Amino acid sequence: MLRVLKVIAQIGLLSLFVWLGGRFAALTGLPLPGNVVGLIFLYLALRSGLVKLAFIQEGADFLLRHLVFFFIPAAVDLMNWGGVFYRYGFRLALAIAGSTFLTFVVSGHVSQWLRRRHQPCES
Amino acid sequence: MRILMTGFGIGLTLGAYFLAKALYMRYRHPLLNVVLLGATLVAVALLLLKIPYQAYLPARSLMMSLLGPATVGLAVPLYRNRELLSRHAPAILAGVGLGTLTSVVSVAWLAAFAALPCEVVLSLLPKSVTIPFALEVVRLHGGSQALASAFVVATGTLGSVFGGAVLTWVGVQDPIARGLAMGTGSHGQGTAMAFLEGPQQGTMAGLAMTLAGITTTLLAPLLIRLLVRA
Repeated sequence: MLRVLKVIAQIGLLSLFVWLGGRFAALTGLPLPGNVVGLIFLYLALRSGLVKLAFIQEGADFLLRHLVFFFIPAAVDLMNWGGVFYRYGFRLALAIAGSTFLTFVVSGHVSQWLRRRHQPCES
Repeated sequence: MRILMTGFGIGLTLGAYFLAKALYMRYRHPLLNVVLLGATLVAVALLLLKIPYQAYLPARSLMMSLLGPATVGLAVPLYRNRELLSRHAPAILAGVGLGTLTSVVSVAWLAAFAALPCEVVLSLLPKSVTIPFALEVVRLHGGSQALASAFVVATGTLGSVFGGAVLTWVGVQDPIARGLAMGTGSHGQGTAMAFLEGPQQGTMAGLAMTLAGITTTLLAPLLIRLLVRA
């Protein structure tokens, strides 16, 4: 029971960062989502020692373990979009496959090249 | 009545989630995707029970309100791996940055070439990043959240089935580079596959997944202006 309360309180603290991120984006007028700004803020807060890992890690680990659950409600709406796949299915598949292939090749080669360049003395 | 329906919607989604997850755990096939399977189960149940989609919306927004704190929580694995992050900073930043740029630009061009409608193109742009980031990109810049989630899952499935073979084929052997490419190219699903290759690949993929999500949301306003709404 105590653990449940702890997880809930820690999720509350994480929500505070979402809110802070949203306020920051609204005040600066930057077209960024609150949760992404909040994520950057939390990382900086952890790095600076303002927030200790122990304050949030159980809440964060709980949410991340079940992250996929929160994706399901967004995808249920697909029941209203069947026509798009029927009509554009083939072209969509080509665009997605082509772009995914290029992404793998570019990010794989760029990072491999930099790894070899920057660590000439590692085996 | 509304409260009852909301409770039912949440219960239904939880049930679909655990069922889809149990099926995935049992067969571990990349085509058995928990998001699509779970969403299909919920949609079929709504259709069979003759519940209109609108009645599901309150439950949907309640469940999705936890997506914000969950996304913020991604700072935790980033922080836990901060030493790894700074040790491989050049490879990570360039690999994730250029990979993300390639993903968004190439899909925008391919979609324009295929003459897809604007709303579909906008929903395609964040296809390589994990769903919470993709949802925010379409919420801020246009597109459909459902289509975006479907494209994200399609990309993840493709990457987790063929990604490893593609990397081997084009000569990417370095385990860290492989992990970075899998996380950048196909987010959480790619990360799951990277962990099957090894812990080093998996950890890198997880970091790349979060960083690619952040990069995509940062680049989206600029790229959409340049590529889609020019």
